[in-house]
Amino acid sequence: MFDGLFDGYTRSILIFAGINVIAAYSFFAPFKTGQVSLGQAGFMAVGAYASAILTQKFGVHFALAMLFGGVIAGIVGFLVGFPALRIRGIYLLLLTLGFGEIIQVIALSWDYVGGAQGFRQIPFNPRTLDYVVGVILILIIFFARLERSSLGRAMDSIHQDEMAAEVMGIDVVRTKLFAFALGALIAGLAGGLYAHQATYMDSTTFNIMLAVEILMFVVVGGSSTYWGPVLGALFLTLLPEFLRTLREWLELLPVSWTNFFPTKQAYDFLHEFLDFENAKRLIVYGLVLIVMMIVRPDGILTRDGLRRFTWPKKASPQGKPRHV
Amino acid sequence: MIYQQVINGLMLGASYSLVAIGYTLIFGVLGLLYFAHGEVFMVGAFVGLYLVLYAGANIYVALLGATIACAMLGVMSVYVAVRPVAKDRPLAPLISTIGLTIVLQNLAVYTFGGQQVGFPETIRQQLFTFGPITISSVQLFILGVAVLLMVSLWLFIERTRIGRAIRATAENHETAALLGVDVNKVVLVTFAIGSGIAGIAGVLDGVKNSGISPFMGVAVAVKGLIVMLLGGLGNVPGAMVAGLMLGMIEILSAAYIGTTERDLFSFLILILILLYKPTGLFGTRTAEER
Repeated sequence: MFDGLFDGYTRSILIFAGINVIAAYSFFAPFKTGQVSLGQAGFMAVGAYASAILTQKFGVHFALAMLFGGVIAGIVGFLVGFPALRIRGIYLLLLTLGFGEIIQVIALSWDYVGGAQGFRQIPFNPRTLDYVVGVILILIIFFARLERSSLGRAMDSIHQDEMAAEVMGIDVVRTKLFAFALGALIAGLAGGLYAHQATYMDSTTFNIMLAVEILMFVVVGGSSTYWGPVLGALFLTLLPEFLRTLREWLELLPVSWTNFFPTKQAYDFLHEFLDFENAKRLIVYGLVLIVMMIVRPDGILTRDGLRRFTWPKKASPQGKPRHV
Repeated sequence: MIYQQVINGLMLGASYSLVAIGYTLIFGVLGLLYFAHGEVFMVGAFVGLYLVLYAGANIYVALLGATIACAMLGVMSVYVAVRPVAKDRPLAPLISTIGLTIVLQNLAVYTFGGQQVGFPETIRQQLFTFGPITISSVQLFILGVAVLLMVSLWLFIERTRIGRAIRATAENHETAALLGVDVNKVVLVTFAIGSGIAGIAGVLDGVKNSGISPFMGVAVAVKGLIVMLLGGLGNVPGAMVAGLMLGMIEILSAAYIGTTERDLFSFLILILILLYKPTGLFGTRTAEER
């Protein structure tokens, strides 16, 4: 669909940004009921390994394998979701973190999928970008519809007060399980897409830092609206790439401007300063996170903030804004 | 053989305990998952290394320097990433301290390079034999420092005025403030103590493994979390005992079952504790009861 529109580098950046958007939605789904999961990287790993086994060892079509990976991850999510129902807050965070680590140990010690050598020679899917765009569109439409459905409102009410939701007749157990399994399924899809783009993965690919990053996408983007995960994932994935281009822009300045006394020194300093190799880029990334949480602890987008842009104007809702 | 493994387990467990003490102190006082603690550990190791390499310091000066530097870092992190961030949104301080983690880790990579750096020999190697156990001078030193630290910390928390203030704040913020405890000061002191201990643990780890890297913090941070939970959130003696236990379990399972399964055990324990005994092994209150 997008053939020839981008060069290979831009294309791969866009694909990974898109996979991050999907991963962010996988965190968003359980979080809608108030469940904070650090296990989404683990579910991505389940989806990635399941689909890669199908394509590499059995020659199954990419789309089918990806769906299968998602379903498997969803089933695993359903099973993990049961014990996860009993606990919340920091305990749930640690439980899902433990799940992710256990998945990593399994990937490391299971020789069928490469073990410590990693899973090599996964077939490359040339149409990953189309798949990614398709999945993101489906997710946006799904979550937009969900927000106005009774199920979505049930999820929101569980997030705000589980006890009150239960008293109002909402089936808390079923709703939370559904949200958790749905999140795992979406993560599985993201993992399947990743595997057939990267063509190599090992036990450290889906590590705790990835799980943490997925959480950050949603919180930085704004967790009260379904546009938040898209914005957060794109912002945080493309920020380092943007920093990389700053220097190229500087180099566009004509030489005649920058070869005499004050400007030359300034140019040299900036040129040196803007040399964003990996560590420096990540330092900026970390600083942005800290500043973001000081300035906008609810994320860039909030539901109330978005309401200002909707047309026609709706009556503003009663009560306090939802804090996360 | 088994005695030797027990010693190794105690060695590993001692560093887990020292890191987890900081976690549990900070969680007790603030109810906050402070993610950057592993990186404080790493910074401590590097401060110690540079003191030994470039200032020609001996191991005691290195330990002291790392403690002071890390205590300052801990206090600074309160001002940068904890205090300005809204408290009523539990995920915001989590993200800001993750941001701090990323900054610290990559500052270290930027300054020291991404490779593992060797830690010079600061203690003369010597072997002592007690019956069936052979223990090196390095191991003896590390265990000695760790035990000394834990005992003095325990006395500090139980016996001193400021220790009592820390316990009162952990019990209940508002009540402590009403009774005249300067809660903000207590938070700063807690961060300073927790971070200083993590710094010492970092130097000891460098001495033990004779090598450090900017990425050494992450694994320790995760293990520290498990130990904190195992010992009960906010329970300092619990964290000490649980750290030694986890170290022992890991070393013994690595020795007798297999090295790849070693982490599997610690995380299975984590999950079982979460599901069946969220109060920790020593029966502290859960976070919800706070």
